[in-house]
Formats: sequence, structure tokens, C-alpha cells
Amino acid sequence: MQGFEGAFEQVEFLLIAGIVLVLAYLALEHKEIVYAAFFFGFMASFVAGFFLLLEAPFIAGMQIAVYTGGISALIIFAVLLLPRAQDSSLETFASKRKRRIGLMVAAIVAALSGILALLFPWAESFDETFVIISNDLNELALWLWANNGIYVQMIALIMVTSLVGAIALLKMDKAEQIGSIRGDFGIEAEPTIEEDESPVDEEPPAEEPEEVDA
Amino acid sequence: MVPLSWYLILAFMLIGLGGYGMMVKRNLIRILIGAEIMGNGVNIALVAMSLYSPVFTFTGQGLIILVISVAAAHTALALVLMLMYNRRYDTVDLGQPIQKEEP
Repeated sequence: MQGFEGAFEQVEFLLIAGIVLVLAYLALEHKEIVYAAFFFGFMASFVAGFFLLLEAPFIAGMQIAVYTGGISALIIFAVLLLPRAQDSSLETFASKRKRRIGLMVAAIVAALSGILALLFPWAESFDETFVIISNDLNELALWLWANNGIYVQMIALIMVTSLVGAIALLKMDKAEQIGSIRGDFGIEAEPTIEEDESPVDEEPPAEEPEEVDA
Repeated sequence: MVPLSWYLILAFMLIGLGGYGMMVKRNLIRILIGAEIMGNGVNIALVAMSLYSPVFTFTGQGLIILVISVAAAHTALALVLMLMYNRRYDTVDLGQPIQKEEP
């Protein structure tokens, strides 16, 4: 029975891994960027399957909520806000040399990582079996909030700072386009153009007649 | 039981695929998607190594929770930077040489 379950898990793993790799490839190579964003969302959903296999249901839920629900939606918004991103001429490479260099670097990274995965003696330092911890969400919550709560709050602060920084960047860019800010008070006050210009229609003031001494 | 090396090989394949997207593509959104794919690979490797480690702790899962949260924030920031790049240079093409504005 145990062997059957193990084989079933392996088949599950291979199936999900195949789907994830194909979807990741499509997300990078599909000509239409909108479809690519959708493929990325599907890929993120299937990655949650690995977390279920790894006895981490909370992480799986978070993966679906954040990656599929949040990040892929953000990418689709980016595509909608940037119509130039849908230009299919961007999918051709700038030059063959650049493409070759990029492919070579990516292949080196993948090969080194693969060698690390295959040759490093993981089996000696890691167990081949693991404890079933599906129902230990309470312990995860305790670990996260009771033991390491300060780090969670620090990360939350960093995130808020980055989001506020992002909004500030957008506002600054917009303010640069508008030009100098004009107001009635303080150092921001600048004379308006109407105030500087003398009225054109008005006649020049009549000169006072000189008094002639008797 | 799925061996740990299977998870690691998959994770490193995803990292390689994401790296390929980040190195080769010109479209800013494709580059962002590549970075996210790399992040997914790292997440899988972290959770797998945490679960298979001899002394189990929740370090891996706690790290993943933080990594996923930070990924959401950095995607929002990347979106803003893309918008600014598009406003300034009127393109989302990173392969195109940027012409400096004449004074």
C-alpha cells in the first residue's frame, strides 16, 4: 500500500512538473503578451500543487492568492496600461550575438544548478522521508508570530515603504510633467503670467501738462 | 515518496528558464515574468529542503511566506518603474539603445 502511494505521488509530481515547465515556457515564448500573462497565472496555480505535495497547504493557498490572484493580475494591468508592450516586433531579438550570449549565460546557470542538485550529497545530509505535518498550522502560526513576530513586522514595514515609494515615484514623475507648483502662499508662490503683462487695450496714461512759469 | 533531488532539479530548471527569459528578452513585461518564474523555482527548492531536512523546523515555510509577500511588493514596484520608463523613453524595449535628450 505504501509503495502504491509512493508511486502515485511520483506520477503526480511528474505530471505537475511537466505542466509547469510547459506553461513557464509558453509564458516566456508566446507571441501575445496577454496570453503569456495568463499562462504565467496558470503556472503559478500549478506550482501550488507542489506545495500540497510537500505538506504545506497554507503556502499553497498563499501562492494561489498572491501569485495567481495578485501578481498575474498586476502583470495583466501592466499590459493594459502599456499598449506598446503588445508590439510583436519586440519578440524578435535585437541581435543574434546578444541572443547567443543570453542563451549561453542561462544555460550555464541551469547547468551549474543541475550539477549542484545531482552531485551534491543531499542524501547524506537530508532525510529521504519526512514527517507528515499537514495539520500543524497552529505550530506554523506560533513559529511565525510568537517566535519570529518582529521579523514579520519588519518585512511588513519594508513592504509598506516600497509601496509608498512606488506611489511617490509615480507622483513625482507626474509633478515633473505639470511643471512648477503654483500657489498663493510660501516659497511656491510665483507671479502668474497675467499679473506680469501690462494690459494691451488700455491707452497710455495722458501726460500731465507742464506748468508754464509766468 | 518523491526524492528530494527531483524537487531540486525541477526548481533549478525553473530558475534556468527564468534566467533565460531575463537574459534574452527585450520586452520589460517578459523580463518581469522571467523574474517571477525564477522566484517560483526558489520557493519550491526552499520548501522541499525545509521539509526533507533531518531536524524539521518551520524556517522554510516561514521564509516562503515572507518571500511571497515581498514578491508582491516588488512586482508593484516593477510595474511603476515600467510605467516611468515608458513615459520617459516612449517604449518598453530594453534592447533599444536609449538616446540621450539634447540639452
